[in-house]
Amino acid sequence: METLQYWIQGFSVATLPINLLFALIGCVLGTLIGVLPGLGPAAGTAILIPITFSLEPISAIIMLAAIYYGAMYGGTITSVLVNVPGEAASVITCFDGYQMAKQGRGGPALGIAAIGSFVGGTFATFALMVVSLPLASFALRFGPPEVFALLVVGLSLVTGLAGRSLLAALVMTFFGLLLAMIGMDPVRGAPRFTFGIQDLYDGVGFIPVVMGLFGVGEILLSMEQPVLEIIKTKLTDLWPSRKEWGVSAGAIGRGTIIGFFLGLIPGIGAIIPTFMAYVVEKKVSKHPEKFGTGVIEGVASPETANNSYANAAMVPLLTLGIPGSPTLAVLMGAFIIHGLTPGPFLFKERPDVVWGLIASLYMGNVILLILNLPLVGFWAKLLEIRYQYLYPGILLFCILGAYSLNQSVFDVLLMVLFGVLGYVFRKVDWPLAPTILALILGPMMERSLRTSLEMSGGDLWILFQRPISAVLLVIGAIILLTSAIRLMPMWARKESKD
Amino acid sequence: MKRPWQIASIIFVLVSIFVLIHSFSYPYKDRLGPGPGFFPFWMSIITGLLSLGLFLQTTFAESESGEKKTFFPKRDGAIRIAAVLVSLTFVMVFMNSLGFRLSLLIFLFFLPLLLGVRNWIVISILAIAGSFGVFHVFYFWLKLPLPIGIFGI
Repeated sequence: METLQYWIQGFSVATLPINLLFALIGCVLGTLIGVLPGLGPAAGTAILIPITFSLEPISAIIMLAAIYYGAMYGGTITSVLVNVPGEAASVITCFDGYQMAKQGRGGPALGIAAIGSFVGGTFATFALMVVSLPLASFALRFGPPEVFALLVVGLSLVTGLAGRSLLAALVMTFFGLLLAMIGMDPVRGAPRFTFGIQDLYDGVGFIPVVMGLFGVGEILLSMEQPVLEIIKTKLTDLWPSRKEWGVSAGAIGRGTIIGFFLGLIPGIGAIIPTFMAYVVEKKVSKHPEKFGTGVIEGVASPETANNSYANAAMVPLLTLGIPGSPTLAVLMGAFIIHGLTPGPFLFKERPDVVWGLIASLYMGNVILLILNLPLVGFWAKLLEIRYQYLYPGILLFCILGAYSLNQSVFDVLLMVLFGVLGYVFRKVDWPLAPTILALILGPMMERSLRTSLEMSGGDLWILFQRPISAVLLVIGAIILLTSAIRLMPMWARKESKD
Repeated sequence: MKRPWQIASIIFVLVSIFVLIHSFSYPYKDRLGPGPGFFPFWMSIITGLLSLGLFLQTTFAESESGEKKTFFPKRDGAIRIAAVLVSLTFVMVFMNSLGFRLSLLIFLFFLPLLLGVRNWIVISILAIAGSFGVFHVFYFWLKLPLPIGIFGI
């Protein structure tokens, strides 16, 4: 009964005209970010945070969340039409989506992706509504040792699943933790590693870091590449044929389930669910050999899993305060900027925000469907903008976004420095996501570890004496161990190829 | 990519040593428990060991001859990257003194030029819209404080 009341409250907030308007704006901007090369969802969401400064917190969060899942769909368009994934989760869509576009079937590919995204996103939102309250109540029992152990699991997953070398991913994670130590000590409040620079007293702002690593870094890398060739495909017929519907229905169902359950695991990222959905689809298919040649199930399943994951990944963010990807870390930063702390307490303190946001996900899924089916031709047109015009424009918004956080050029400097670092790390193929997550989770991790040690009088054994934290730490160790085993031969093989 | 990996690993080893040395200036322990120096001490040690491990792994990994990836971009690419970085540096240096509008007007005018665009009309329209137009939207409509320079622009 209590849950039902919250649902009603959420829908009453989400259906306010002003919030619907911001969900619409967010979906448009998100799709735009997903479509435009050189701007991934993490950097795109970060750049647009300043727009929300003058908004009510709930409207701001609704808009930024819409940007997040809008970008997830926008990335599909570039995958299908130019064989370039707008964001990492759309890599798999290139395999069959691009082949379909080459055969003149780009329309149905984009159509089924939009419908699958709608189904997956809507199901995941419903499940999010059902599981979030019990999970948040359970999370309230967590003390500092459990929080620390949970953060270890989250970072282990991001680290273990990132890149081709576990050691490189670990170094990048610890690099993020080192950066997180700059600024005020999270327990005693004493300044550390500030070197007398006043701008560092609040720490290294992760928003300029995200803009730098994912925005400026990507643009610098793109400057090396030749200009993309765009396939002119007829997009008049978006509706899949009856036969295509038949094979896609099951794929959408399977993609929904896979995306949702993997989205519940903090730190797993969007690539794994889409990849797994594709693999499962290939396994159950009567014609697995046709995958990669332009089969519609190869688009339907991963695209559904992608949006199902995107909505389900809100569960760990909202109930535990743990973001599972760089984009969700940016969203978490937006919560904090607006005076809200994601986690179990938010359900008690600001149910209007939590339930309003969850209900808005339904609205957003409907908006995306309406927006994308008729407007797909328009989005495709945007791909024809020349990069010489596009990148200065993106950089303009990066500068604006970084400056307006604290009205300081120092943040612009940070963004540019991390842009150069992002370019270098991309060149050497070291993963960036662990650094971002470690940077945002670092203070929380340090606080929970030190408070745990204060509780036990300095005895580290406290982490293993409490059942939940002990189990979580063992899970974290298993994740890293299996990653190490998985990557060992691969590392040697890949390195030798270079 | 063996050499860049080695160099990057060594840089991280040096960063860890720097953090470790600096961590000694904060108390490791106080009367309540671990002090501000506790976390930096352990994090720098772990980062240093991991970086050293990565260096050794990279150095002693088997390397077969095959397709070589180069770290440095080709000349054209390098020029474009330099153009972006110089333009961004210009904005950082002059944004406070020249103001948002003027510095971004120059940025948006010259960066496309440096990237090879020669359509003066389009460049001019985009530069004015991106500087004065964006300023108007964010400063007056969204109430976002943006720098106004010495010329009052």
